[in-house]
Amino acid sequence: MAKEILRYPLHQLGNPQLRIFRPNFLMTLVRPGVPQPEDIVQFRVSMQMTKFDVKNYLQKIYNVPVAAVRTRIQYGKNNKRNHKNQRIKVPDYKVAYVQLAQGHTFQFPDLFPEKDKILEPGSFEEIQNKFMEDENQRQREDPRRGGVPGWFGL
Amino acid sequence: MAGSWRAAGLWVFCGRISAALRPLVVSRALCSGGTAGSSGLTQCNFHKTAEKVNALHHCRLLHTSGPLKGLEEFFDDPKNWGESTVKSGAPWTIQQLRAKSSEDLHKLWYVLLKEKNMLLTLEQESKRQRLAMPSPERMEKVDQSMSRLDDVIQEREVALRLLQTGQEKDRPGDWRRNCFGQTFWYKFHEWSVPWYVNRNHRSKQFFALPYVNRYLRLRLEKHLRKRARQQTLEAQKQRDLKRRFPHLAERSQP
Repeated sequence: MAKEILRYPLHQLGNPQLRIFRPNFLMTLVRPGVPQPEDIVQFRVSMQMTKFDVKNYLQKIYNVPVAAVRTRIQYGKNNKRNHKNQRIKVPDYKVAYVQLAQGHTFQFPDLFPEKDKILEPGSFEEIQNKFMEDENQRQREDPRRGGVPGWFGL
Repeated sequence: MAGSWRAAGLWVFCGRISAALRPLVVSRALCSGGTAGSSGLTQCNFHKTAEKVNALHHCRLLHTSGPLKGLEEFFDDPKNWGESTVKSGAPWTIQQLRAKSSEDLHKLWYVLLKEKNMLLTLEQESKRQRLAMPSPERMEKVDQSMSRLDDVIQEREVALRLLQTGQEKDRPGDWRRNCFGQTFWYKFHEWSVPWYVNRNHRSKQFFALPYVNRYLRLRLEKHLRKRARQQTLEAQKQRDLKRRFPHLAERSQP
């Protein structure tokens, strides 16, 4: 299963249920571009996934209670050109809007928070910062002049 | 139809990652339960619902993994947020995977799948914010591990099939030629009607007439010339690099 793209076989009455042991479906949780209600989580999912697949995936693998799933296919633009001026198609992808069960909310966290950087002594950045500070100090006006411009005076 | 996709009992795998699997799992402390101190997630009752579902399972195996975290598993450990590099281990080698039982391999598949989803989420978010993704080499490692794991399971399936049926392939097939003389692997499949009624199948040709022999020869010649040209180019490039960077050439000799 894992390498090939899954084709759902036609289900005849009495056939065994289709079971997948190593799913190769992938889901990417994305920050919604348009503001969504609190209980909606937006995913980019593999193209061959259906709504039922998304629901089962989240419930069985991630143990997330799902109320409803809505999907759409985002058309990738075709107006990109390469160096030979040929059209390059940006691949399409499927977007799934998952509504969580009642009482559950989700907000996309800030994955790149500002952290205080500790610069290594002697590194390029540290020297640059020091230099810039020095320059700023030099450029600053004398506080004793009280904001009087430099051309005025003896 | 598609709704019949049931990964029944699959969730059991994800929750219960045995301690044996832990040391080489890439980059993420799997069992760091409840470390979401500065998490941006709002208070959600995923754990409570998890308990309800857990009441279903009846087999009690020893397991040491942390509680399921729901949607938080799509994100890295909050300690790693905002870091430029994240430490990660080596990918699983095929020898290591061959030593594992099938059950363990399937559990590991879900661990790797979750890891990959997490990395995809991180990659997309970093693209969106126009920042460098922290340690993008993790993605390649996970891919390698997954493909190797798949290879191991294929090996086992083939071995079992050889024992049981004497066939190597799960779907029988045959090497055939098309009307241009090219050889390809033809997969056998079931037909709803016998072959002599099937006009579509009868119209297909699986042979080539002798006038294509010349073109076969030409195609082979073209292929060989292309390969030879590539090899020469590659050798030339290596020679040129050695000439330009002799100190590196010496070092790479032994």
